[in-house]
Amino acid sequence: MKLKLEREWPALAALAVLYLFLAVAAPSFYHFENLRDLALANVSVLLVAAGMTLVIVIAQIDISVGSLFAVTSVAYGVLVKEGVPLLLAPFAAILIGALLGAINGGLISFVRAPSIVVTLATMIVWRESLRWSTGGAWVEDLPVNFQWFGLGQQMGQAVIVVLALILFALFWWASENLSAFRAIYATGSDSEAARLAGIPVRQVLFAVFVLMGALTGVAAVLNAVRFSDVPANSGMNLELKAIAAVVVGGTPITGGCGSLLGTFIGVLLLGSIGPALTFLGINPYWEKAIQGAIILATVFFEALRTHREKRLAIA
Amino acid sequence: MTTNRKQEWILAAFIAMEVVLFSFTGRNFFSVTNFFECIRLAVEIGLLALALTPVIVTGGIDLSVGSMMGLCAVVFGVLWSDAHFSIVLAIAIALLVSLIGGALNALLISRLNVSPLIVTLGTFSLFRGIAEGITGGARNYSGFPARFLYLGQGYLGGLVPAQTILLLLAIAGFYLLLERTVVGRGLYAIGHSAEGARYAAVPVASRLLLVYVLAGFAAGLAAIVYVAHLGQAKSDAGTGYELIAITAVVLGGTSIFGGSGTIVGTLMGLAAIVILQNGLRLSAWPTEVAGVATGSLLVLTIAIERWANREERHEAKLMVRWGLLATVAALALLAVFLLRIRRVGEVTTSAGKRVTVAVMPKAKGDPYFISCKVGAEEAANALNVDLIWDGPTGLDAAKQNELVQSWITRHVDAISVSVENAPGISTVLRQARAQGIKVVTWDADAEPDARDYFINQATAQSIGFALTDETARVLDGRGDFAIITGALSAANQNLWMGFTRQRVAEKYPGLKLVAVRPSDDDRDKAFAEAQTLMKVYPDVKLLVAISAPAVPGAGEAVRQSGRKDVHVIGLSLPNLCKPYVHGGEIEAVVLWNTKDLGYLAVAAPAALARGTLKAGATGFDAGRLGKVEIKGSDIILGAPVFFRKDNIDRFNF
Repeated sequence: MKLKLEREWPALAALAVLYLFLAVAAPSFYHFENLRDLALANVSVLLVAAGMTLVIVIAQIDISVGSLFAVTSVAYGVLVKEGVPLLLAPFAAILIGALLGAINGGLISFVRAPSIVVTLATMIVWRESLRWSTGGAWVEDLPVNFQWFGLGQQMGQAVIVVLALILFALFWWASENLSAFRAIYATGSDSEAARLAGIPVRQVLFAVFVLMGALTGVAAVLNAVRFSDVPANSGMNLELKAIAAVVVGGTPITGGCGSLLGTFIGVLLLGSIGPALTFLGINPYWEKAIQGAIILATVFFEALRTHREKRLAIA
Repeated sequence: MTTNRKQEWILAAFIAMEVVLFSFTGRNFFSVTNFFECIRLAVEIGLLALALTPVIVTGGIDLSVGSMMGLCAVVFGVLWSDAHFSIVLAIAIALLVSLIGGALNALLISRLNVSPLIVTLGTFSLFRGIAEGITGGARNYSGFPARFLYLGQGYLGGLVPAQTILLLLAIAGFYLLLERTVVGRGLYAIGHSAEGARYAAVPVASRLLLVYVLAGFAAGLAAIVYVAHLGQAKSDAGTGYELIAITAVVLGGTSIFGGSGTIVGTLMGLAAIVILQNGLRLSAWPTEVAGVATGSLLVLTIAIERWANREERHEAKLMVRWGLLATVAALALLAVFLLRIRRVGEVTTSAGKRVTVAVMPKAKGDPYFISCKVGAEEAANALNVDLIWDGPTGLDAAKQNELVQSWITRHVDAISVSVENAPGISTVLRQARAQGIKVVTWDADAEPDARDYFINQATAQSIGFALTDETARVLDGRGDFAIITGALSAANQNLWMGFTRQRVAEKYPGLKLVAVRPSDDDRDKAFAEAQTLMKVYPDVKLLVAISAPAVPGAGEAVRQSGRKDVHVIGLSLPNLCKPYVHGGEIEAVVLWNTKDLGYLAVAAPAALARGTLKAGATGFDAGRLGKVEIKGSDIILGAPVFFRKDNIDRFNF
């Protein structure tokens, strides 16, 4: 596998600058505990962003993942509370995520409704339905072995991070090497050409959204077990975080290309900014503005690059 | 363009159904005043939706309009309030900022060919971030002169809301631009194929520039109306409006891929959404239904439209079918209208013994208010009251305003509000009182002349001081502490922090507040912030969390860190914190009895409506709570309670 980093370099450069600056100005940022907590805090964004990368590569978008995340989190909590065995409940929750993803996928690929509209609708519907049914109440009084899957804190933390990284690496590898995943790139690049080349375009599209839902389910489970109860409003703005990470990582929203490596860098960069500001003693009120500026800056560099390429092509 | 027509028919049928349904279920829904109230509700979103129509027609999108409203509101507030500019000049500069912001989007999109979704996702964060940065999230500008407020609150000829004119002008302008000019046709061409349009001599870049600048400008106008409507300018203005506006546009048949769409369609989409929200409120149904219904409708219209498109041959037949449906709906509408005229007499004479009390929490989903609701429902059952419990899902002054307005239209007997923003809601509460509705505030007060009584559970000062005293006690009078607040712009929390700072300065020279971090009322974020705080400030031995979900979040962070020297105190519910109080991470939770507060929030307005509680009373009989003391116009709930290891198990809420 060649690492060319054509699209990823603006994010990588920004990350390098941030981390070098932190090394000088706030070396305690690099303490093991902080890196561990940073990793744990970003596990859910990482997994959702992995799915989002595929969704964007196939030239679609999914803004319902935050709501899906909340629904699967609560569903997982309720399942465990109702006494579903701990070995089974996570898979049930992931299945629920996949089913919700299938609803998106079905409407998008078979009814051929635009993804931004479909997921806008499901985003509102799932969030409001959840509010309606829970009345905002948390899932409390969960069994003791809910937290950390009953493995204890250190073991649990390790399991969560390792699981997420393995899953992400698997997706990364698959996206570069498996023909099923290359079909996603082909479809995103030119769906008509892909169809003529014998790729079942509709089915691929459907599968991507099911996968997105399932990954959101995994993220919800891995996030929920870090605590002893489940709030009803989790995953707020998760879709924006995931999309921003994918875009900052160099995947163009027009689809057809982009890499999970870039997404990884994007998640790391955007996820580090918040804690970094605290470490640097910068006022939190500017956090949102800085995040917006970073998104625009990477987009700006990307635009300059394609601009230059076009000129070169003409010359 | 036939597809649009079809969707417009579907929408027309749906709107007709809404009107018919709500005429039966919603009290005073089918009335002239409510018609104009709906228009007032539609103006801000409407301006955005109108401006987004040409944007989406070109195949683009603008997610930044809601954030732009926040930025313009803040710029306007700063200039008028701090820089003492005249209102007109402040408006002009705020609008200029909106043009510049729109131009930033426009340049990146049209000159650098970056996808609009990405650019405006970036400016979505940027604009809101600048607004929060300028104000520190907290500043809330109010006290605008009456002549300015007229723009958002006044009536022309005593009936038509003043901002209607602006909406009509915008409708006319965008209609002419999009559907009656060469420029407009060019936009459709761009939406079909930008490349094709370029070959057809449409100046694509400058057309795109135009639509995004216009979108920015419309957001600026919407911000000014919003500020005048609420009487307050804050960085959270217009949060989430972009999604509602986009929903209205798409519902109205504008293709998200570009190339088709009409202003009439957008207006119908807007009407469908606004009538739905208004009707649900007047029917006293939960507002969550609005979201579920809007989302389902969105999917349904698109699915029907797609499905109909597949069978081009049956198109003629379908048109007839939709036409039939619309006719039936129109007939039903007429029938209702006739029925209503007959029933007007009955409606006005409903003054039985059973009273209707509408109670509003600041945020429906907040655990604190959920526990208040338990008490409210108990009181409603015990005291023979019809309880309407509704509020915004998150902190949202604009939503509070709209709800009170709909309760006035519904003519409930008494209104009981936990106020998010005093200047923002006082005007509409005064309006309620003028119509003979009894008004009580609870949890947080409005301006004194806007309500009959305030149920005072604890003043901001007593909370701020109590927290600080507890901080001093835990830290033994000296040391560093940090605060984890709710949203940066939350009014209550900012007030408490102000008093904390004051108390520290006056009484505890040894204490030092080293950092304030936001949790956005999100347990997981509070958890992460607490973790970071502990690492960055190893000398901090106490975290003060002042948002209900943030306290258990901070408690969990301390527990997982294994640090026995750090403690948490804060404002939260005993049930959420019990495990951590027993585990020793949380030293103390300060709160009053929320169940009793909810109980009083129903009992007091009910007593007012029945006439058993009058102005100037020194006490009243509040059912289960017995005789409750009144001082001036404050109904006293009792002092805040400290929940600690030894007493927390006695409380269950």
